[in-house]
Amino acid sequence: MKVPKYLIPVITIVMLFAGFYLRFAFTQPTTSVVFSEQGDAKLVCTVNGVKCKGTANFFTKMFNGVEGISSIETIASERRATFTYDPSKIDKEQIREIIEQPIQLRDGSSRQFFTCVEMK
Amino acid sequence: MKTRVLRYSILTVILGLTIYQALGYGKRSFEAFCPFGGMESLWGLFREGQYSCATGPLNMSMLIAVIVLALIAKKAFCGWACPIGFLSELIGRLGMKILPWNSSVNPKLNSRLKLIRYVGLVLALYFTYQTGELILRGYDPFYIIFSGFGHGTLGLVSVIVLVIIIIGSFLIPMFFCRYFCPLGATIDPFSRLGLVKIVSDEDLCTECGECYTSCPHDIAPNEMIYIRHRDCTNCLECIDSCPEKDCLTLKVKL
Ligand code: SF4
Ligand code: SF4
Repeated sequence: MKVPKYLIPVITIVMLFAGFYLRFAFTQPTTSVVFSEQGDAKLVCTVNGVKCKGTANFFTKMFNGVEGISSIETIASERRATFTYDPSKIDKEQIREIIEQPIQLRDGSSRQFFTCVEMK
Repeated sequence: MKTRVLRYSILTVILGLTIYQALGYGKRSFEAFCPFGGMESLWGLFREGQYSCATGPLNMSMLIAVIVLALIAKKAFCGWACPIGFLSELIGRLGMKILPWNSSVNPKLNSRLKLIRYVGLVLALYFTYQTGELILRGYDPFYIIFSGFGHGTLGLVSVIVLVIIIIGSFLIPMFFCRYFCPLGATIDPFSRLGLVKIVSDEDLCTECGECYTSCPHDIAPNEMIYIRHRDCTNCLECIDSCPEKDCLTLKVKL
């Protein structure tokens, strides 16, 4: 069956869009840590600085021992971190402060590694 | 020529979007769109249920989309959407204009050299799965160029790799795509099965060779009835260059 030449660009563009929207079917995380079972409020942050498994692990470790944080799941390629937390113990602004706190380096200086650009 | 204008327009938009992402304006990294990232993430997903290094959901979904596209329209992704394919083609065209010799490669040598991409694919996946790191970054022109020699590139080694690819593309059209692209190697079997392909009509063909000369992958459409060749990107250059009306057409054929 003969088909018009323009089928190729049309189908290519359709498949690119399909690929873009199909991403919701593959939402496995880069890292996933559960600290406790308490709290079920959800917060999704877009975090500049979370780029790969290494930075995602580092990011998650900043919340070790922080009261009120139940779990953190990151998807590095989307720069996304999803928190479940207990709102009676910690609020969104406190989470942002922890994300954006400067980190002490070995040489004594400190540097901010992460910036929260969006919270939902 | 009209098809090329359309193709280059689409590719220019995609190249522009990639640069936009690479400059940090988009919501996600430019790497997130690379279908090969889906291949690199497979082992991590299988073993731990987690993505490795910087790969993510979009890499996976783009890989599936590209495979489905290959089953429908062969390597249309390479000819109509890949920014590296686009840059390679532009450099190759410049080479063809400037160089005094014919840049087509001896067919036997050409198909032997293409084996390199399968070796590259196996090695890349082996080391990526072993280390959990995207070890290909330092050798990957897509990453080297759009990250601006960013994290994970290998300094002088990456410079040398890029220079070799640029010079190679200048001398042999689609140099990287032909011999090194691991994504190309991944979709080869699906491309062979691609439904929509170029079909040539022996009765109308005058054996002028224009189609062969215009094909960036050195495929000779006049020598086959159905172009099942794994490397055909359905770029349609051959149809546009053929002087005989309806000698080369696009058909759905199993
Ligand atoms: S055979 Fe035709 S459509 Fe296929 S790659 Fe060559 S020029 Fe493009
Ligand atoms: S360009 Fe057309 S007529 Fe010339 S060799 Fe190719 S298929 Fe035949």
